[in-house]
Order: sequence, then C-alpha cells, then structure tokens
Amino acid sequence: MKRVLIAGIGNVLLGDDGVGPYVLHQLENSCSFEAGVTLEDLGTPALDFIDHIAGLDALIVIDSVDNGKPPATITFYRKNDLARCPSTIRMDTHSPAITSSLAAAEIFYGASPADILLIGISAENYEAGCALSDSVKAAVEPAVQAVLRELERLGVTVQRKSKTEVHAWWSEAQPA
Amino acid sequence: MAKRITIDPITRIEGHLRVDVEVENNAVSNAWASCTMWRGIEKILRGRDPRDAWLFTQRFCGVCTTVHAMASVRSVEDALKLEVPLNAQYIRNLILIGHALHDHIVHFYQLSALDWVDVLQIPKADPAAASKLAESLSPWTRNSRNELKAAQDKVKAVAASGQLGIFANGYWGHPAMRLSPEVNLLAFSHYLQALEYQRKALQVVGILGSKTPHVQTLTVGGVTNAIDLDSQSALGMDKLEMIRTLLAEVNQFVQQVYLVDVCAVAAMYPEWFKFGSGVRNYLAVPDLPLDSHGSAHDLPGGYIMNGNVAGTHPFKTAADPEFRQAVTEDVTHSYYQGTKPLHPWSGETEPEFTGWNGEQKYSWVKSPRFQGHPMQVGPLSQVLVGYAQGHPLTKKYAELALNKVSAIAGVHATPDMLHSTLGRHAARAIRAGMLSELADKHWQLLVDNIAKGDYTVHNAPVFGSSEVEGVGTHEAPRGTLSHWVVIKDQKIKNYQAVVPSTWNASPRDNNGASGPYEASLMHNPIADPERPLEVLRTIHSFDPCMACACHTFDPEGKHIAEVKVL
Repeated sequence: MKRVLIAGIGNVLLGDDGVGPYVLHQLENSCSFEAGVTLEDLGTPALDFIDHIAGLDALIVIDSVDNGKPPATITFYRKNDLARCPSTIRMDTHSPAITSSLAAAEIFYGASPADILLIGISAENYEAGCALSDSVKAAVEPAVQAVLRELERLGVTVQRKSKTEVHAWWSEAQPA
Repeated sequence: MAKRITIDPITRIEGHLRVDVEVENNAVSNAWASCTMWRGIEKILRGRDPRDAWLFTQRFCGVCTTVHAMASVRSVEDALKLEVPLNAQYIRNLILIGHALHDHIVHFYQLSALDWVDVLQIPKADPAAASKLAESLSPWTRNSRNELKAAQDKVKAVAASGQLGIFANGYWGHPAMRLSPEVNLLAFSHYLQALEYQRKALQVVGILGSKTPHVQTLTVGGVTNAIDLDSQSALGMDKLEMIRTLLAEVNQFVQQVYLVDVCAVAAMYPEWFKFGSGVRNYLAVPDLPLDSHGSAHDLPGGYIMNGNVAGTHPFKTAADPEFRQAVTEDVTHSYYQGTKPLHPWSGETEPEFTGWNGEQKYSWVKSPRFQGHPMQVGPLSQVLVGYAQGHPLTKKYAELALNKVSAIAGVHATPDMLHSTLGRHAARAIRAGMLSELADKHWQLLVDNIAKGDYTVHNAPVFGSSEVEGVGTHEAPRGTLSHWVVIKDQKIKNYQAVVPSTWNASPRDNNGASGPYEASLMHNPIADPERPLEVLRTIHSFDPCMACACHTFDPEGKHIAEVKVL
C-alpha cells in the first residue's frame, strides 16, 4: 500500500488563493480512493506541514502560484524544482514554508516523500472574498485531471464517480 | 544624517510585515511598522448565519485557526447570553492549551531562538562538554553526549549540503551573536526536539478538534464531541488517556527544556533586558473559564497603564464591561477611509490605499486603542497583570524564571526587567509553564465532571429578531483577541476581529502615539545596518503574526526578504 497525501493549500477567504482547497473538495466529492490515500485541506500551513508529510511515499500539492503566467495556467513542479527554491528570512512563524518543510523533513527525519508533484495554478485575484475568478474556475477540472493522472502514474486506483462540479461550503453566495 | 533601513519580506501578494527604521549612531532613532495585507472579513460574513461565522474566521490564518474559531463562537454566545456546559468549557480549554503550547514552543525554537543561537558555531562544539553543562542546568534525560553529537552531525551535514537556509535566518556569524559553541549546540539540539514536542501538543488539538488545522468540533453553545466512556468512536477513556499522556510529555519538555533554555539564553544576553520595552500599557483578558458563564477563570486578565504595575485593574469576566466599552480602532495612518476612531461594533473597513507615506498613511493595520491609548498585548501582558494581582500560579512561574536567570547570570533579576525584548520571551516561557500545569488540572476537571454522570456538551442557541451585540474574547498565544458581532434576524449585520498583532503592530494613531512594535524599536542598538539582526530580535520577541492572510507558493523564489539600506 502506498501512502499518498493529496493536499489542497491556500486561503479560501482570499479569492483565487482558495483554488487548492476548492480542487481538493471536487476530488473528495467525485472520486473514491484506495486505502493509503489521504485528502487534506491544509489551509495555509507553516512548519506544521512537516507533520503532514513525514513518512509519505508520495505527495501531491494543489496550490495557487505566483509565477507571472496568465491566470489559470497550470504549471507542474517536481521535487527537484522545489529544492531549488531559496528559503526566506522568516519574519514570523506563519510564513509559507513548503520548501523549508520539505528540506527539514528530508534532513531531520530522512523522510521527505520520494515522489512530489506540486500542481500550481496561476491566480488572477487575491482580494478578500470566497469566490474563484471565472478564469481560475476553468482550471479546476484540468487540475482534478492532473491529480488523477499522477495517481495513475503512481499505480494508485481511483474510481471517478461523477464529473458534476460540487460547490464548496465556503463558496456559496451570501444571503442578501 | 540618519540611515534608513527597510526590512520587507514582501512578495507581489499582500500579507506581510514591513519594518522601516532610521538609524543614527548605531541605534534606532525612528521606526514604522506596517502591514501590507488587507482583510475584509465583515464583507465575507455579512448576511450569513452567526452559527457559521467560526468556520470562516478560522480561515484567517494557517496556524492560529483554533483561536479565531473560539473567539467567534464566544462572540455569538455573548450576544445571545448563552451559557456553555462545563464539559464543553473544559474540552475547549484543553484545545486552547494544546494549541498555545504548540505555538509558544514553535515560536521560541523555530522562529526566534536562531536570533540568538549561531548555527555556524555548532561544528566547533565539544558534545561532552555541552552535555555536562546541560546536566548542570536541567534533569532532562535527552541531553546525553550521544544525542548532542547526533544533532551536531546533522548541522555538519546540512552545512555540507549548502542548505543552511532552511533554518530561515540570514544572520549567521553576526557580531551580536555570542553564545559559546556548546550552548549553541545545546539550543540547536532542543530546536530539533521541539519539533517533536510541538507536534504532540498539536495532536491534542487534533484529537479533540477532529482535525488540525481547522478544528471541526466547535459549535455556538458548546462542542460536538459526543462523550461515551466506553465507545471508541466518541470521546472515551482511551482518547482521554492518550491526551493525558501527550500533555504530560509536553509538560516535561516545557518545564525541563523550554523554560530552562529561555532563562539560559536570557542570562547570556542580559543587556537585552534593557532594550525593547516600548509601550508600557498592557492588556490581557481572563481565559480558561471554570464555570458555564465565564465569570471565573484560571488565567488572569486586566490592564496596566504607563508601567504602573501596582495600579493594575483586573477584569472579572471574559467580556468585562470596561473592555466592551473602551476598545476603538483608529485609521489616521491606515489605508482606510474614516475620520474618527470607531468602536468595533460600528467598525468600517473601506480601503483607501495611498502608498507608503510615513507622515500620513502607511499600513493596512488599523490602530486599536483602549481608553484611547495604545496597548501591548501578549504573554508579557498576562504575566504582568497576573503578577501585579498576586495570581498564585503566575507568581510561582515568574519567580521560578527570575530565580533561574539570577542563578545563571549571577545577577539579581527583578520583575522590572520584564519590560523588555527578553522579558517578552521570558513571559512566554512563564505562561507555557502555567499552561502545562493547567493542562493537567483541566483534564482532571473534565474527567471528574463526566464521572458525575454529566454528558452534556451543548446548549442550543435561540435567536430573536431584535438586534443584539456580542464580544468574544480569547487570550491567544499572541495576546488579547476579540471578535465583535452584531446580529439581527439571525443574520450577521457587522463583524470585526481585533487581533493581537494589530494591537502590537498598529501604526501611529490620531494622537501621534506609536504602536508597541514601533515604540519597542527605539534606541535598539544596530551593529551592522546591512544585517539588522537586532531589529528582528525585538520584533520577533512579540511573536508577530502578519502573514496569516495569504499563502501563495512562489516557485520563482521571490520570497526572499528584502533588506534595503538607504
């Protein structure tokens, strides 16, 4: 049995930053996965990310990215790409820490996942609000497909139950 | 001519703290703290059911999810005058303690210890000498030569791989670092162990909250943990025993390692008891309720003005009438529209971005004020307020810490020294000591109450149609947190969160009074303007939390903090 974590990362209150949790929500509601596969909406983790990745065989992260590409562009990053990212000077305990967490898990526990895929979705809008922009919404299904392809590559069985989009609880419109 | 330094870990995205200081004759002569994030939570919450608010508010932040959930349900309970069953109070208290212990440990070791500890010195250390030193300070059993040697080997391996950056500090070998190689090694070994113990503390939150981040078991009126001592799927004895074991392990780490390390580091940098006091008005709210309506608490609250510790005013309840009335937010120097300070219940958040202008508007943070004055919040405020009121548990741990510093430094450490950069670290460790002792107490209170046959965890909220206002407070790891809600027809009409870091990071107000970060930086020494480590030491001592609003991975590596010297 392979231990695989599919993690949606981002703040659902800040527009397109919530695309990671949104894609995760689609996966949870439209697929069933074999034992060993965990889906986690991790919000905006800092160094506690280490606790979620230690001991995994494979990690799939879905996150919004700031890479200067047009909104909704999906870019794939592998373990080596992430390792090349410089760490930052931390002003606080809460600064994003994916790269640092991976490095820490590797060095201190000798246990960062062998297979890592970050599915990065270029965002359009980070204004306060719970809805995705229309352009980024169009990237949701392709991102779901990307996760399924990666699972297939890893030899993990998935059953797709439905392709209907499910609205996440936070994205429902406010009552007037 | 003053030299201007800007420290700005900014990305294209909003969400970070920026500090500007002017340096003259190797000391800070002026300071501005600003934040580049903007939040509009009330825009997201208006019109929603008040019972749902906590699920949204706990998404403010990736690390403090729990605290915003707690303050939110408390605000609605306050508005409805809804009591919370004892079991629910104790379960909530254990969640809050678990979260706070995790947070305090991570703050000291993973964020700020490396402001004082120089990793570059570690390869030079003698593990046997370090072990001997450690045994003279603490009965902790994980200070053996072998364990320390293993930690040293890890540093050597990291140094060889060129990845020292994961320790997330750019100031190795700085002239203001001066611990011996052995003390550096010891602290670093505990940095690694802290990763294990913070995790245990968080596991308590996970067991009782069903998930972390984002606990799932809160509800307005109580908690949703079903209690059944014989069931594995409910909260039963097996889970309770697991929680007790985890808390006991964390307790031992706090008492034998964290408290000792803070005192030892403090004793070796005693001049930092003289810098960084800043605003000497302190504010803390009582927390860890012992009854169903929040009138008796295990953590003390109150306020102190102008450093007049003897004249402290206690708060008797979690939503004390004085607190309810005295809080306002000013936007004179914040990027919002508005002409006068507003009470949070009538608070507005209409952006008016002008760009950074130190004379006019320069921050997205509002300026919360209490009776019109800036207030420092955080563990130091709670410890000073408790100490001044003769709160026995506060006195016990404060005296223990001061005696330890005195013994190691060979000086007489007094409570007056706590008004400082190091005082904030010491107070956080003192509070962690108190919390780890209280963890055991509240676990026992819960078990004893269940043993009486009381399985109640929830009182159902009842909404009327008239407009009601509520405030929910929580003394969070970073200090006083308050959520303010206005409800009409079971819908949210207004919602404001006044968070600890806005108290501390607030810009100047309509009277020109600086917030705590800004004031605390005045007269800090700066040995090397290109590497302003001393600024980070003081800012870190507050446990800043400014990046909680946004999290976007930047694969092109632009996350590097910018340090600009003009």
